[in-house]
Amino acid sequence: MGEFKVHRVRFFDYMPSAIRAMAFNSRTERLALSRADGALEVFNFADSYFQEKVIPGQDGRAVEALCWVRGRLFSAGLNGEITEYDLENLRPKYTMEAYGGPVWTICSNSQGTHLAIGCEDGTVKIFEVLEETIRFQRNLDRQKGRIISLSWHPSGALIAAGMMDMIKVFNAESGHATHRLLVERGVGASKSREVVVWSVAFLSDHTIISGDSAGKVQVWDGVTGTLVRTHLVTKWDVLALSVSRDESSLLAGTSEGTVVQFQFISSTVDQHDKEWVRTRTFKNHTHDVRALAHTDTAVVSGGMDTQLVVRPLLEKVEKNTQESALRKIAFPHRSLVSCGKKAGMLLFQFHGHLELWRLGESDGHGEEKHTCTLSETHGGCQRWQGDDHICCSALSPCGGWLAYSTISSVRLYRLQYNGSNISITKVAKLPKVLRSAHQLCFSSDSSKLFASTTHSSVIIIALSQSECKYLHTLRPKSGTRQPVHLMSASEDGKWLATANSDCEIHVYSLHKLKLHCTVPVYSSCPTAMAIHPTTSNLVMVHADQQIFEYSLVQKEYTEWSRKLQKQGLHHLWLARDTPITHLTFNPRNPAHIIMHDTYMFCIIDQNLPLPDQKTLFYNQMTLRSLPEPERTSHSHSFKICKTFQHLLCVSLLEDHSLVVVERPLLDIASQLPAPVRQKKFAT
Amino acid sequence: MQHNNNISGVPLFFHRRRCCSVFLFPALNQSRRRLMTSPAPKPAAAESFGSPLDSSDDEAPEEVTFQASKASALQSLKRALDTARREKELLKEKRRRRQELFQEQKVEFPVSWLVVSLKGNYTVQTVKERALASSQQQVALDFLQSRLYGPGSCRTTSNELLSLQNKRGRKKSAAVQFVNKGWGEFSNM
Repeated sequence: MGEFKVHRVRFFDYMPSAIRAMAFNSRTERLALSRADGALEVFNFADSYFQEKVIPGQDGRAVEALCWVRGRLFSAGLNGEITEYDLENLRPKYTMEAYGGPVWTICSNSQGTHLAIGCEDGTVKIFEVLEETIRFQRNLDRQKGRIISLSWHPSGALIAAGMMDMIKVFNAESGHATHRLLVERGVGASKSREVVVWSVAFLSDHTIISGDSAGKVQVWDGVTGTLVRTHLVTKWDVLALSVSRDESSLLAGTSEGTVVQFQFISSTVDQHDKEWVRTRTFKNHTHDVRALAHTDTAVVSGGMDTQLVVRPLLEKVEKNTQESALRKIAFPHRSLVSCGKKAGMLLFQFHGHLELWRLGESDGHGEEKHTCTLSETHGGCQRWQGDDHICCSALSPCGGWLAYSTISSVRLYRLQYNGSNISITKVAKLPKVLRSAHQLCFSSDSSKLFASTTHSSVIIIALSQSECKYLHTLRPKSGTRQPVHLMSASEDGKWLATANSDCEIHVYSLHKLKLHCTVPVYSSCPTAMAIHPTTSNLVMVHADQQIFEYSLVQKEYTEWSRKLQKQGLHHLWLARDTPITHLTFNPRNPAHIIMHDTYMFCIIDQNLPLPDQKTLFYNQMTLRSLPEPERTSHSHSFKICKTFQHLLCVSLLEDHSLVVVERPLLDIASQLPAPVRQKKFAT
Repeated sequence: MQHNNNISGVPLFFHRRRCCSVFLFPALNQSRRRLMTSPAPKPAAAESFGSPLDSSDDEAPEEVTFQASKASALQSLKRALDTARREKELLKEKRRRRQELFQEQKVEFPVSWLVVSLKGNYTVQTVKERALASSQQQVALDFLQSRLYGPGSCRTTSNELLSLQNKRGRKKSAAVQFVNKGWGEFSNM
């Protein structure tokens, strides 16, 4: 198999951002999620919870709430603006000032015709949802306190608003408040503080359910305006509520990190007297749960510990299957590390800056050196409010060029080395056609920069010492409007492969500058792909863990790929819950494919037999204990190593040393904000 | 004649008789004398240190006229009422100043004007409202911060959370120690 010298890199201080809000669109099965740094992510729940789209954040955006209206995504934030997002171009479509101060919540009616927002100044503002925009319609009666949470009655005629110390029910037509429900404050020391109604839910039978900062979930009769039942769920705050579509189940997220489920069931055998009964408690978070979504089959929660947790409800899914497993999504489903293989350099992408590192000598005598940090302040420009975050970055293999893109601009830098010093020069004039890119990629000889733009097209820029010229735009024939999320150029400079969120993979011939072929569409989205340097086979791994190999010359799947599909992948491979985010090849052994996910890296040896379902899959330790001649009969093609965790990137340098970029989840957990202090028995 | 034995505060009853001797206790007498005379030089004070009762044992208590005591009682009453009134005024002033400050924060802001001159006699002035919006945003963020992490929120550090996890896990291990002392500090959201 071979031995590798390993550069074990643990100095990428990647810190994910806390999850602030989420919204589930049951029609398209997409979950939209917003983070504290203003970034938005869209997950496809129908495709192994793959993180399909990422819209980078912006300084000062502070998204507090999200809302889907049919297929359109809206957000509102503390900057007082409502934003609609363009999910095809991964950017905000437009922002509208609400003129009510910071906006705490946004909610659409079930008909999808109106949006209601709750503002700091005590107004509930109604906006009409039009074809291409939204239009302010009216204000409901202004209240004395801030409006923290809103919920429309399914009929669209009433709105329940959670405020400080009370809940008000408004008639959406007249704008007047019809009921005032007074919420009790906490006991003891918290009696002097106002209680905040963090979340409300208005059900079709006119029941209002509220979660407040005193830790109570209260059930109210919305018709008479009276309290039906109080459930004290936690000592801290109940921060989020979510009701299932059929209104039979309710979730409450707390500051302790627990999610409590209530179900509308009858305590006796006959079905007559149903009430909301507390059933299950899920403890899947260490910090506050600030966002919740109740899908038909699962509990989705996220909060200050930055992880997205999907907990399938066991009565809704088949037990002991892949479907019923708990999922924790901790890392992005795309690579944040670029490796300059020939130069031994690494580029780390943060949301507001980049870090460039040079790796030490592989004989162990050199030191990893932090070369520089690139941010907007480089070059003397001041960083100011409203700065867009970085959406993608790339480092050329020779280490001589560096590029990154935000939603508003692309920046290209020339790097020059003299001894241990490095000089960075910004390339001032870029072709005007290069506005912003969703993905960036350098050709292997560093002569071209590929930038993917709208409708999955790719702009080619020729790079040289003197100037950067626009060469050509490659366009797919499918007429897709989706953005490209993966791009890979071949080593010999002949091919460029792109993949978009429609699961289309297009391969272009760089000599002829036109589309060469389109790989047959597979139902799952590709998560990593690469073109083999000698055989020109395109290897693709998808979100459902399937692996395909496509010959670009023959325009058909290879023999090995057909054999793999026929045999089927081992069930332990398919049971992995993190996607492969990077694929590369071994120049010394053309039969090797190196890939990794968060918890392991794997070398697939195409010369060895494929494992069948009964083979011991993780067999590296066993093989090591066997004597040399017996090893060959027991080995199979999937060689998995779990020594290094948690992986952000595994790459092979030109000198055949392996670079492993780790970011242990414990390091992230150490730097999270303060969790609640829980008194545990015997501590 | 009723002697008023209330030496601790303002006398509550005044006698009609004009001339009345009030006999005060020696201790009080002593303190009055200290108040009325200039401060004695230190050695003298040291010398006079001793039981206050000793010096005046043989002497009769000092005579203070009713007028004088009434006057002093009235004075101290006036003083007390004055202090109470002053405190009320101070509180009112504080409240008024705070109200003004809030009003100021709402209205006065570093606004920058962009003046554009058009044809003829028209000018357009645009006010940059960014500063006002960002201050409101800051107030809202502060509210969130204080509700979730402020006093009464009962929070602990990441260090304690991880250490507790170590101690209660299936494989018990030592408490967590951070190499970087900056970690695990109470931090903002």
